[in-house]
Amino acid sequence: MNEDLCLSEDQRDALQEVANIGMGQAGSALARLLDTFVALSVPRIQLVRVTELGKALADMVGSSCPVTAVRQSFQCDIRGEAIVIYGQEGTNQLWDLMGYEPADEPDAAAERELLVDVANVLVGACICNVFEQLGRSLSFSRPTVIGENVPVEYLMQPSALPWKVALLVEVNFSLRDRQFTSHLLTLMPEDSIRQMKRALDHFLASL
Amino acid sequence: MNDTLARQLPAFIVDRVDFGIFAVDADMKLLLWNRFMQFHSGRKAEEVIVRNLFECFPDLPRKWLEKKFKGVFLLKNFSFTSWEQRPYLLRFGHDRPVTGGTEFMHQDCTFMPLIGASGEVEAVCVTLFDVTDTSLMHRELERAMAALKESANRDGLTGVFNRRHLEERLAEEFARYKRYGDRFSFLLFDLDRFKSVNDRYGHLAGDAVLREAAARVSACVRKMDVFGRYGGEEFALLLPATDLPSALIVAEKVRRLIGEQPIDWEGRPIAVTASVGVNTVRPDIPSYEALIGEADRALYDAKEQGRNRSVVFKPEPG
Amino acid sequence: MPLPVLVVDDSAMARKMLIKSLPASWDVDISQAENGIQALEQYRAGKAAVMFLDLTMPDMDGYQVLETLRREELNTFVIVVSADLQPKAQERVRALGAIAFVTKPVTPEKLLPILKEYGLYE
Repeated sequence: MNEDLCLSEDQRDALQEVANIGMGQAGSALARLLDTFVALSVPRIQLVRVTELGKALADMVGSSCPVTAVRQSFQCDIRGEAIVIYGQEGTNQLWDLMGYEPADEPDAAAERELLVDVANVLVGACICNVFEQLGRSLSFSRPTVIGENVPVEYLMQPSALPWKVALLVEVNFSLRDRQFTSHLLTLMPEDSIRQMKRALDHFLASL
Repeated sequence: MNDTLARQLPAFIVDRVDFGIFAVDADMKLLLWNRFMQFHSGRKAEEVIVRNLFECFPDLPRKWLEKKFKGVFLLKNFSFTSWEQRPYLLRFGHDRPVTGGTEFMHQDCTFMPLIGASGEVEAVCVTLFDVTDTSLMHRELERAMAALKESANRDGLTGVFNRRHLEERLAEEFARYKRYGDRFSFLLFDLDRFKSVNDRYGHLAGDAVLREAAARVSACVRKMDVFGRYGGEEFALLLPATDLPSALIVAEKVRRLIGEQPIDWEGRPIAVTASVGVNTVRPDIPSYEALIGEADRALYDAKEQGRNRSVVFKPEPG
Repeated sequence: MPLPVLVVDDSAMARKMLIKSLPASWDVDISQAENGIQALEQYRAGKAAVMFLDLTMPDMDGYQVLETLRREELNTFVIVVSADLQPKAQERVRALGAIAFVTKPVTPEKLLPILKEYGLYE
């Protein structure tokens, strides 16, 4: 792995702290939006090689069950993509929380809209808060479904990915009283890692 | 360009661009309603500004949309709607009065948080794009893809399903049997002494015989059955929800339909008969391929026993 | 005599941010700890009349520190500093004897009223 991509101890500490704070804020905002307790894991930060990504994904999701996933890209001077991976239950338990009328027939399009809506909320809540602390406001792309009920390794084909090393930040969500779990992965490729390191240095110097 | 003009420019652009822009504050009061929105909604800016969005447009899906706005306010987050899942946010006519193709304008919307000096979201700006053309093209494309997929499943000569599709459907049916116990039967049949038809009348006649035989069988199968050409002069018929006695009745019907009336080719009657191998699914059949193999054995037996008959596969006792 | 203040957080950056948010004119002697075990050692060495305590730490977390202080009837002003904003966490640390709960990121505006309220800083 290129030396220049590794985070220094200070940078890693700062990113972890910024991520912790961001997720704390996200958890509280999501709880207010959804009117239910949202449990978020402590974010895990690691550099992954593209060849190790499949294993990292499998470790994260932890089961051989098929998954459904939504991706969304975000950008400022740092660019990356966020992927929300849903467990078996998908978003079935969240219709009312997201304001869908019970009368709305949950056809395939409505189900997809809910998947995308929930992903957008999770991604936005977490990533906005992290980048805001670094003094950056983000733009987001339209989220899209990248796989429905597929094995997790189908989500990303390493040979087709244009990067070798990426910074991976991973958080897990669950809701109290509901069958719902999901994993949020944020991946930033090489150029963005360098930008992120600069942003963290700047942030540290400003303290 | 002078300064005054430069200052006027953003407002001018917002008003005149060819897509909708509107904004609401935290109380859902409209703050901005550009010309595109005015034109398509038939509501002037002065009629709706500082009024509640949902009071102005009671048709909006309020509960869902309020939640969506709330998300943007609380999470300081972008949000989106897509025509693929929700064809439109506001029910507008489209600008295809002539070419048509759809009833309403299809829309993609983006919700953007406007963060004020307080650091909180003070308003949400929504852009609304007319994507009717894209969506119609997309629909056309899907139709073409479906047609293409359909043609990839068809046999070029006879127009009935091809072997690939037959096997796919058979594999599905077999999986369903394994999971839910849904019974089904399978017929494999071919035209007797077909080689002699080709030799005597030529390949064009042979082709015509295959087409006619396929057409006769097609006319009598149920909608849920899957009938196809398995290769050469061999055909297969997958019969969902059919037990052995019923399958045998179908086999005999197929045999009669092919053999009773000679096939007419350019005014010449060509007599053909068919032999049919019949098989039905059992718990001890390990795979759909094995099921085909057994039907093939029964077909072979039908040939051995003198052709123009249906033979049921009999598993070895024990 | 300067007031002994202990800042407990596993993140060096978080400790730095907190120390920077303390009033500049406050007469204090600041020590730092990276986990609960170090925090209790420092406390016993008389370094913590006031303790700023993070909750999530390896090797003895903030809750365990609070429980120990309580069990051993130790006396210090504990101000919990955490990224966990859910009300449940706040209730729990209050019940364990913390005088206040400050959410990260820490700012002087969040700290000052608490220090004044308890007469720690005039």
